[in-house]
Amino acid sequence: MSSLDPQDEFFIGYLGVPPRLKRFLLGFIPILVLGALAFAFILPPLHFDQFNLGKRTKVPEFEGLLVGQPSPHLLVPRTGDVGTVSDFSLYLLSGTGKTSPKPEVLEHVDQWVNLKGTPFHRNHLTVIATKSAEPIEPPASGPTQPDEGSSLGEFSLSGEIVDGKCYPGVMKPGRTKTHRTCAIRCLSGGVPPVFVVHNQAGDQLYFLLSDLDGKAVNDKVLDLVADPVQITGEVIQYADAFVLKADPATYKLL
Amino acid sequence: MGVAYKAVQWNRQKFVYDIILLTTVVFYLFCFEGISLQFSSDLDIKGIWIRAFGSAAFILLHVILSIGPLSRLSPKFLPLLYNRRHMGVTMFILALLHVRDALAWYHDFGNLEPLVSLFVSNTHYTDFIRFPFEALGGVALVILFLMAATSHDFWLTNLTAPVWKALHMGVYLAYGLLVGHVVLGALETNTHPFLTLAVGVGFVWIVGLHLITALREAQKDGAPLFGQPAKPQVDADGYINVGSVNDIPDNRAKIAVIAGERVAIFKYDGQISAISNVCQHQNGPLGEGKIVDGCITCPWHGYQYLPDSGISPPPFTEKIPTFNVKLQGDQILVSAIPNLPGTPVAPAVIDQA
Repeated sequence: MSSLDPQDEFFIGYLGVPPRLKRFLLGFIPILVLGALAFAFILPPLHFDQFNLGKRTKVPEFEGLLVGQPSPHLLVPRTGDVGTVSDFSLYLLSGTGKTSPKPEVLEHVDQWVNLKGTPFHRNHLTVIATKSAEPIEPPASGPTQPDEGSSLGEFSLSGEIVDGKCYPGVMKPGRTKTHRTCAIRCLSGGVPPVFVVHNQAGDQLYFLLSDLDGKAVNDKVLDLVADPVQITGEVIQYADAFVLKADPATYKLL
Repeated sequence: MGVAYKAVQWNRQKFVYDIILLTTVVFYLFCFEGISLQFSSDLDIKGIWIRAFGSAAFILLHVILSIGPLSRLSPKFLPLLYNRRHMGVTMFILALLHVRDALAWYHDFGNLEPLVSLFVSNTHYTDFIRFPFEALGGVALVILFLMAATSHDFWLTNLTAPVWKALHMGVYLAYGLLVGHVVLGALETNTHPFLTLAVGVGFVWIVGLHLITALREAQKDGAPLFGQPAKPQVDADGYINVGSVNDIPDNRAKIAVIAGERVAIFKYDGQISAISNVCQHQNGPLGEGKIVDGCITCPWHGYQYLPDSGISPPPFTEKIPTFNVKLQGDQILVSAIPNLPGTPVAPAVIDQA
């Protein structure tokens, strides 16, 4: 190939870049590259709920009372002087996947167990991805059963139904539209649903959901997760948690 | 150009192009993760990578879609077009990694196969706000896969350029689907105004750039925005006057529209030849090319044709239609009917007197 007319530059890929064109590209390509890279610096801090306090904790095992309704949970006696607060902490239980705890775990419902798993907690909501549970003797001293729970009255609350495993810290954000299908998978697999409500002070309140018979509502709320929902029902203080008891057919999409 | 299929016919430009492209992508991904880690150590790292892959693919798609019209507006951008298919394949791989991680993270470890879960978990296909945005991304990925899989010249030759080109216009459908995927997914979850603004500006940029380019092309072709273009005057011998030889710089061409098709009329060595404006390779605009070493050279990928026959110089075998041409004074007359591809035509000799 002969050399090109320097007054009439023409780019041919396999021949190299003419000088004036090269000068243009040496100015333009760095701007293009830096413009694209700028998004790697701008986008991460803007991520919604990406840096919340939900985290994995390192406690590998717990001893407490395994309860099956409305959703599987473990009641762990609180140590020390608890004052007027409940004698028990309530930890939700899931399996290691998008599932409820394994049948080998759930066969020990209503028994005291030594439970092994990976706990995640966000604020005062804790879930344990349960690996195993072995029956143990109830403690020799202290309470061995929580109170039945006390009704705080009927409330109409607005919030979002999330799955009780991703939201406490497995995923961030473990809620809203982008997480909807994952939450549907989790709830249909048996992960406890949790109703997240923000009160006027901006605090996050968490409610376990139960139908009027005290049973789980998982399969009845799959169509309502990740959307703003209003639930009207009886709020029950149970251990250190709240249970919201209502007919899922009355849940209202806002 | 080639006479045999090779995975990639490497040259220095392609190496430089790919090094800049891949370095930028890798740097973007690790910066995205590194900056995220500056804010918290309790991160959902899988989620961070899903966002990093997805945003990188979406940004790269905007660059890819800008190169075509920018190159039409100014030949300075042609070096970006030269190896654009590698950019497209890179974009597809980023999208695939985004989908792979999203499928594993949001849909695996449950009671359905992840791919089934992707399409049946949220079934609000008739609801705009609750629409399952994942399906839009899934369809776009299929289009991007078809484009990446057929990006090699093997498919270009065997599908023929018009079919290949039509298939690859699917990128605009994929872009529309991905805008929907982002707006009904990420932007519904994250309502930060910057994100909405960035996606909106990107959309206006892509649409606006294509509209401006289309308007300029129509102006160059002499086509009105509305109504039928004026019919050129065909003389008794079936020739059309396309202007003066003095309008064409040496070794360059002017483009005329004859019977709705663009024809490239080249001036070189005191002669005029007319051939189809459409390169057989990727339908590049030959009339914006140049005579190099006695051959018409396509501005897109350097494919070459002899001006008096429309045939690529040996050993290459591409052929394009030629047009009979003659001169009346300084006026160029081009036959309204093309010859079969590769038909030799005697150039019209310019009277130097």
